[in-house]
Amino acid sequence: MSPSIALPPIHRETLPGGLRVIVAERKGIPLAAVRLVLRGGSSLDPSGRSGLSHLVALAARRGTGRHTGEEIDLAIESIGAELGTGVDEDASYFGLSAPVEVLPRCLDVLAEMAGNPTFPAREVDRLRRREVAALAHDLDEPGVVADRAMLAAGYGSHPYARSSEGTVRSLGAVRRADVAGFHQRYYRPSAAFLVVVGAVRADEVLALVRRRFAGWRTAERPLPPIPPTTAPRTAVVVVDKPDVTQSQVRIASEGFARRSPDYYPGMVASAVLGGGFTSRLMEAIRVNRGLSYGVRSRFATSAVGGLFFVSTFTKVETTAEIVQVTLDETARFCAEGPSAEELERTQSYLCGLYPLSLETHDQLAEKLADLELYGLDDSEVGEFRERVRAVTPDQCREVGRRYFPLERRVVVAVGPARAIARSLERFGPVKVVPARKMV
Amino acid sequence: MDGASGHGYVPRRMASQPESPALLDLAQVRAHTLSNGLRVRVLPERSTPTVSYYTFFQVGSRNERLGLTGISHLFEHMMFNGAARYGPKEFDRVLEARGGHSNAYTSNDVTAYYEDFAAEALETVVDLESDRMRSLRLTEDSLEQEREVVKEERRLRTENSIFGLMEEQLESLVFLAHPYRWPVIGWMEDIQRIAREDCEAFFRTYYAPSNAAVYVVGDVDPDATLRLVERYYADIPAGPRPAPVPQGEPPQRGERRATVRYPAQAPALLAGWRGPAARSPDSAALDVLQVCLAVGESSRLRRRLVQELELAVSVSISWGWRIDPGVFLAFAELAPGVPVEKAERELWAELAKVAARGVTAAEVRRAKALLRSSVLHELATHHGVAHALGQAEALLGDWREAGRALEHYAAVGPRDVKRVAVEYLDPTRRSVVVLDPEVRR
Repeated sequence: MSPSIALPPIHRETLPGGLRVIVAERKGIPLAAVRLVLRGGSSLDPSGRSGLSHLVALAARRGTGRHTGEEIDLAIESIGAELGTGVDEDASYFGLSAPVEVLPRCLDVLAEMAGNPTFPAREVDRLRRREVAALAHDLDEPGVVADRAMLAAGYGSHPYARSSEGTVRSLGAVRRADVAGFHQRYYRPSAAFLVVVGAVRADEVLALVRRRFAGWRTAERPLPPIPPTTAPRTAVVVVDKPDVTQSQVRIASEGFARRSPDYYPGMVASAVLGGGFTSRLMEAIRVNRGLSYGVRSRFATSAVGGLFFVSTFTKVETTAEIVQVTLDETARFCAEGPSAEELERTQSYLCGLYPLSLETHDQLAEKLADLELYGLDDSEVGEFRERVRAVTPDQCREVGRRYFPLERRVVVAVGPARAIARSLERFGPVKVVPARKMV
Repeated sequence: MDGASGHGYVPRRMASQPESPALLDLAQVRAHTLSNGLRVRVLPERSTPTVSYYTFFQVGSRNERLGLTGISHLFEHMMFNGAARYGPKEFDRVLEARGGHSNAYTSNDVTAYYEDFAAEALETVVDLESDRMRSLRLTEDSLEQEREVVKEERRLRTENSIFGLMEEQLESLVFLAHPYRWPVIGWMEDIQRIAREDCEAFFRTYYAPSNAAVYVVGDVDPDATLRLVERYYADIPAGPRPAPVPQGEPPQRGERRATVRYPAQAPALLAGWRGPAARSPDSAALDVLQVCLAVGESSRLRRRLVQELELAVSVSISWGWRIDPGVFLAFAELAPGVPVEKAERELWAELAKVAARGVTAAEVRRAKALLRSSVLHELATHHGVAHALGQAEALLGDWREAGRALEHYAAVGPRDVKRVAVEYLDPTRRSVVVLDPEVRR
């Protein structure tokens, strides 16, 4: 297979108001994928108001200077598109994918939402009530509870520790003025970018975007800096759900930011340990012991830091066993590193499948948005295979020793505390939390 | 696993659309049947240097019987545990080393395996797949280990999932006699009971080439690919004809109900009606009805139950096309404290409105636009195309049906939507499962 990956022609431009525009011309399916990204995300939520940025993103489509929320819904859906919104720790996202011929209408809606939302009080209140109610359903999903508990334990007092969906209490404290104020402070063209990918002509799209977004101007102010993350203290958190028959397990340690030079060795090492169906953890946990249906490891990388984590689940009776096997396999990996055969197989796997992660317009739009958000170059895509191939066994072992959960780590288990808490004491001081405290 | 959706492909040219680059040119599909009955369909498409290779076996939970429920799905797991040429653990290792990835799913109707891989690994994949079809090794050890894995899967998706618990109840209400009555993953005791001999008999009957079809889509040469498949599969003997599936579902004469008591934070509501078989022309009209009711913020149920009345946090409809008459299913996650009866009343009222007055032409246009986008999205990958070809052949009897979805939608008008709402969503033929969140003190 050829080592380099060719990207389609990409055009970039910064509008006078500061909005960055990125357009990729592709052949094929007559759809266009559009992403509008606002930098900052839930790490900008004020203390005691977690979930605010998420609510702002949801509320922005519920009314603008020109249209009601219902009119916007109908306008978008009648042309065969659905508008998605999402917020993570580093950004707020608006995305849709539509037939190319209706791109102008899609851009109209996005420009209105970004620059001129009215946040009708009735709609903001309704969404707030709905989001609070949705948290009750989140609480009924053990995997979601485990992820929340892992972020909280893994990031401590850092803003990344808070779930972007907020909590019952924090959402309860949010007022319409908070929503409008957040929008005014942080929805700025200079902290935003727009990505369009599809069977389009870049010059046409750029002309269209210039017109549609010309009116979006705000005062220039930098976003507040986010403090660096710190490593967690070793601890075990048991989230008590007395009635489940299976424990959800997460084991996390400090990782690195997206721009870290450890990114490629880390990704490859993690894939050997816990990616794919042939990883060490999959073999130890699923294939050799039948302890779980699935296990994986991953570096979650963000703007100022990240986590390394293993995620799995097992019947209540084998909760401590699955943690022990995971830690043993991790320690073995850090001591020995990958074999030449394992490393070669993992590299081939990552390289062979990489084009599949760029196959659709939506996938490429997401990739380009990631590059822009984290200030990375197109060569991240073009040279992906060379960089993966360049990773050595020593680098894998080194990156494992530095980041895998050998010493400072948190173990999170969501399950019946009376059945599992004591058996987990060997992994660190145990704290039992009732599930309802997690939202 | 599970969850068939009913869309296929865009025809090369649509009457109402400008001619676009060939998204799916059915004329390019090379179709061939080997002398042992294996059907092969190859579609060259060179936009990405990858290939998707799907193998569909015409077997799912509908082919099972009580006492052996879940065998189709458990067997799917066994297919990754070694054959004559490639032994235990080798399947994924060899594939990953060649830049590929594999997985599989089992539904009520089919068991489907796929590999997505860099184009130069084609022969390796044909070798791997034909090896396990010819000479799968079924050992006691691997069965015991997979049994435990599947039990964990059942705990994950059913026993500790509110939707999973409710869905299992609902299907057993909607069907009295048809095998759709039991869950695809099977009952826990049956998973525990399945023996190696059961697996061997299952393999001989349902995994014979005469019960399978292979779909290859991507950066390939069609003639060379057909020769390759011929070379690797031709010596595998054909199998017996599988037993017919019991069809004696009696008519439903009145509402059926069940309650799931579970310590949850909020109530939920699941309702289902027996729909038509996938082959029925009404299937496309029910797709349109599904979108009118619950796809997008401006759909009827989302507007009424979520936005106006704030009874529900979410509402969804799932109309899954199946070989035999399947289920049209409505699910609502309710806000904490909402009385389920109140949400039920509003849901029934909205459905009655559609049955009495139908939907508007604008709603149908909106639904068709959304369906068209969803078909285009499905077509956007080799994987999606290969799956849609296989799905169309398994459920509708002809892979070409994959190219006709938009024609079928185009033929649906507001009157059809009203007619299918009256015919299938009859209140006296509904089944209802209510989640009663039992609060622990």
